[in-house]
Amino acid sequence: MATRLMFENSCEVGVFSKLTNAFCLVAIGGSESFYSTFEAELADVIPVVKTSIGGNRIIGRLCVGNKNGLLLPHTTTDQELQHLRNSLPDQVVVQRIEERLSALGNCIACNDHVALAHTDLDRETEEIIADVLGVEVFRQTIAGNILVGSYCSFSNRGGLVHPHTSIEDLDELSTLLQVPLVAGTVNRGSEVIGAGLTVNDWTAFCGSDTTATELSVIESVFKLREAQPNAVVDEMRKSLIDSYV
Amino acid sequence: MPRRPTRRRRMLNPQPLTFSPFARSVAQIASIHVDRCQTHKSKDQKGSPLNSKDKGIWKHTLEGKNDLSESSEEEGSGGVVQADFVFFDPKLDDFHGVKILLQTYLDDTQWDLSGFVDLILAQTTVGTVVKIEGDDDNTPFSIVTALNLRRYKDHKCIKELKEFLLKVCLEKDVIKDLRLFMGEQANDVGLLVSQRVVNLPPQLLPPLYDALFDEVSWATEDEPTEELRNFFCFKCYLLVSKIYKHKNANQKNKRNLKRRSASDSGDEIVYIKPEDEIFHKLSLWSFSFPMQTQQVETQELKNYRLMGLVMAVEAAKIPTFRQELQSLIVET
Repeated sequence: MATRLMFENSCEVGVFSKLTNAFCLVAIGGSESFYSTFEAELADVIPVVKTSIGGNRIIGRLCVGNKNGLLLPHTTTDQELQHLRNSLPDQVVVQRIEERLSALGNCIACNDHVALAHTDLDRETEEIIADVLGVEVFRQTIAGNILVGSYCSFSNRGGLVHPHTSIEDLDELSTLLQVPLVAGTVNRGSEVIGAGLTVNDWTAFCGSDTTATELSVIESVFKLREAQPNAVVDEMRKSLIDSYV
Repeated sequence: MPRRPTRRRRMLNPQPLTFSPFARSVAQIASIHVDRCQTHKSKDQKGSPLNSKDKGIWKHTLEGKNDLSESSEEEGSGGVVQADFVFFDPKLDDFHGVKILLQTYLDDTQWDLSGFVDLILAQTTVGTVVKIEGDDDNTPFSIVTALNLRRYKDHKCIKELKEFLLKVCLEKDVIKDLRLFMGEQANDVGLLVSQRVVNLPPQLLPPLYDALFDEVSWATEDEPTEELRNFFCFKCYLLVSKIYKHKNANQKNKRNLKRRSASDSGDEIVYIKPEDEIFHKLSLWSFSFPMQTQQVETQELKNYRLMGLVMAVEAAKIPTFRQELQSLIVET
């Protein structure tokens, strides 16, 4: 199911949160209702962790992660790094990387198997992504934009990309990612999909400006209507309970 | 996939426009002495604004002369920037840009801002959006409009706005007037919404406000139904704005005055928008309230606190306002 919400009057939910199949990060300083919306959907299944990165609240755009790991920019402080290591399940490897392009969330988009990366990313960073996140990395552009993390959002079930992506590019990306893709918008015509939407295999959160049409497109491409967390999380359940207790 | 050249400044949603290199140049020009600039206003006025989507009535050209480029070369800028500002009727496409301009209208309260922006954009007869000519991004630099409080009283955003204002008004004498404004007298009250980017050239203000008040008076004659015509017969305008108040404004003892050094010789109130000073002077009543949104920390403003200011200005005082605004802008 897709949920609409706001962070302090801003509909850019993907900027202030990061959702994966194993954990959810939420920015501090927002109203309690923002945090509790995530809790209501996810608390029984995966940990919802409040954090900042380098003192910033725009955590969704600064970090990138999936069920295997979480990559943080060099601006992350030691306390934040420790807090994340303590709060996240053990099998999620938390690593801080030295990369010139520090807004990792804008430069990299990934699911549990494949990642799309900014064309100017360092070679070492690409190797770390493949290593820590356990994914195959492809350097791509989306509708001519190099910030792949901003203009697309995909999970293991489907993906949404920039509305101006051509049919050929859509087919090419779909073959690379091995998931069905749709070109669309979020938040009432906004092209910045990554900022307006955050998604995992069974749920999605988008800004409250998102129209009913956009929401139905999101629910159908990400296959959220029949999605149940159990199928995905069963294999991880043991280690999750361990880390709570 | 071959990498196509990207327009890097288009990465995110229309963000605060001061971040683009173009807007920075405009800001530089605007800050240089006005009397050195040549301004040009086109004088052809169209009779009824109802028939024109693109008003193109007021075209303002901000040009730099040679001596300007000398001084700006010392600062290391690119040189002269020409900007043609065009006034448009509000259109539904302007939604995202106008929403960003009004982000902190009611402090950091969570309210139906989207609904409020929809109301503004639906009212095409009264209201102006300022854009740059030939700008592909089509981003609004300013929005000015007047909304009748009774016409929209059933909309969620207006109800939330009323609740907010009544909540933040801590002055007992004013709250009675405020309640009347939003209750019985709502039919005669227009909410004057005026927001713009901080670096918009001040020379645009007189034509902008002239356009608004002229449209209001044309609407009282041109609107198709009697009911709609009456909605624009405002007796009073309500404004919600922001000011900086000196932190020690309440203390008036000598010791405090002595402590104030030369650099601290600022006024009690700093108006972010110059026309607010005139409105405040002519206002029927007003009150200020503290704001929670983070203010920009600068050296000049370190002793000042960001406050919201709500004012009521009688419609009869508007011609005076227009004159004073004209002289204020010419002087600066």
